[in-house]
Amino acid sequence: MNWDWTFAIHTVMPRLLSGIITTIEVTILAFLLAVLLGLPLMLLRVGKNRSISVIVGEIVEFLRSTPLLVQIFFLFYLLPEVGITLPPFATGVLAIGVYYAALCSEVFRAGFEAVPRGQWEACTALNLGRYRTMRDVIIPQMLPPIVPSLGNYLIVIFKETPLLSFVAVAEMMQAAKLIGAEFYRFSEAITLTGLLFLILSLICAALVRWVEFIVNRRIYR
Amino acid sequence: MKTPKIRFDKVTKRYGELTVLDSLDLDIAPGEVVAVIGPSGSGKTTVLRVLMTLERINEGVIWIDGEPMNRMRQGDALVPASQAHVRKLRSKIGMVFQSFNLFPHMTVLGNCIEAPIHSLGLPRAEAEARAEGLLAKVGLADKRNHYPSQLSGGQQQRVAIARALAMQPEILLFDEPTSALDPEMVGEVLEVIRELARTHSYTMLLVTHQMGFAREVADRVCFFEGGKFVEQGEPNAFFTQPQSPRAAQFLSKVLQAG
Repeated sequence: MNWDWTFAIHTVMPRLLSGIITTIEVTILAFLLAVLLGLPLMLLRVGKNRSISVIVGEIVEFLRSTPLLVQIFFLFYLLPEVGITLPPFATGVLAIGVYYAALCSEVFRAGFEAVPRGQWEACTALNLGRYRTMRDVIIPQMLPPIVPSLGNYLIVIFKETPLLSFVAVAEMMQAAKLIGAEFYRFSEAITLTGLLFLILSLICAALVRWVEFIVNRRIYR
Repeated sequence: MKTPKIRFDKVTKRYGELTVLDSLDLDIAPGEVVAVIGPSGSGKTTVLRVLMTLERINEGVIWIDGEPMNRMRQGDALVPASQAHVRKLRSKIGMVFQSFNLFPHMTVLGNCIEAPIHSLGLPRAEAEARAEGLLAKVGLADKRNHYPSQLSGGQQQRVAIARALAMQPEILLFDEPTSALDPEMVGEVLEVIRELARTHSYTMLLVTHQMGFAREVADRVCFFEGGKFVEQGEPNAFFTQPQSPRAAQFLSKVLQAG
């Protein structure tokens, strides 16, 4: 393997760094979508309406049981067929966000079921309505224990973003592939991509641990 | 007789094959303090739980102030109660749990104002004033900004009592309120309950293993076993001369042990 430092620093790095912005944007937006959609999915699934609960359960199962790449292709090639044309970036965020919403809804459900029954009973005894019970008592208690799992999904989403290079989203992996195709040199681009992912993953993991620490301190001090 | 505050009319509760309440009848007068005692696992707690609507009953009717709670009137008939109807009657009842069930993510004050604000619709300032008064009454005014985990078991249970009182119920249910406490903390909680029984007009229903306490505060003791009240009576008579062999046997066991 030959390695050209000048090429790596002057040609590869600038282009990877412009791709990294897109990678981070996709990660953050997809994660937000996953969390914001995952919570209502879970609430519908545990809700009192049987048929809605079953339907949502099936949707979640379906999303979890098909490969993300297939779902990305599906949205990218089939949405335009039904007249919805989104830019590749938006399609990518949507695909990853919805897929992880299904996974997050299961995490939420685990947190939800871990709230002791006595908390519900106290709410009944205090005549709190269902909305207040959820908003003020159940949800605030189910979140802290699942911060590690949600944080883990943030890192996983980050590492899955290269899948979007298959639909030409200009994220870091796509930038690396383009450099390779242009100069017929892959070693620098791919190696540096891997390295940048590693560094960002570590930063991200540290961030998640910090949030965990803050949340736990707030609750159990 | 006046309209009973609480009436159980042939109330039956089953869990699968197991019948926990077996066509149970019970009348409690306004202001009466009733202690329910009986062997562990006999289901005496279920009496309180169905009254608090934590469990659905299979048969019978529970009446509060002459109004059916699990049913409602429609013409001459009684039909299954709506959620709104249940909530209206439930607002007369407060409950203190064996395991406190405080909200761990809220301060002591937060615990005591949550339901008054969001269930009764009190303005925050009024709810806080009420809560502070009650916390002072249970001797915990200085703990208002603490979290439950920072308090001892006895203190937590006193907060739970203040929280229940903040809803200004007419009926108070105590489900083994001292069973989860270390022995040295039992006294402070019993003292609060004793004070409530002595100085207020609450109708109280108390499930307890503290025989001495039951004898002291209750107007009536009900011995529960096998889904029924086997014997009821005035505490002194009951504890000194139980009429039924089962109650006698039970008493001789617990009094020996305690």
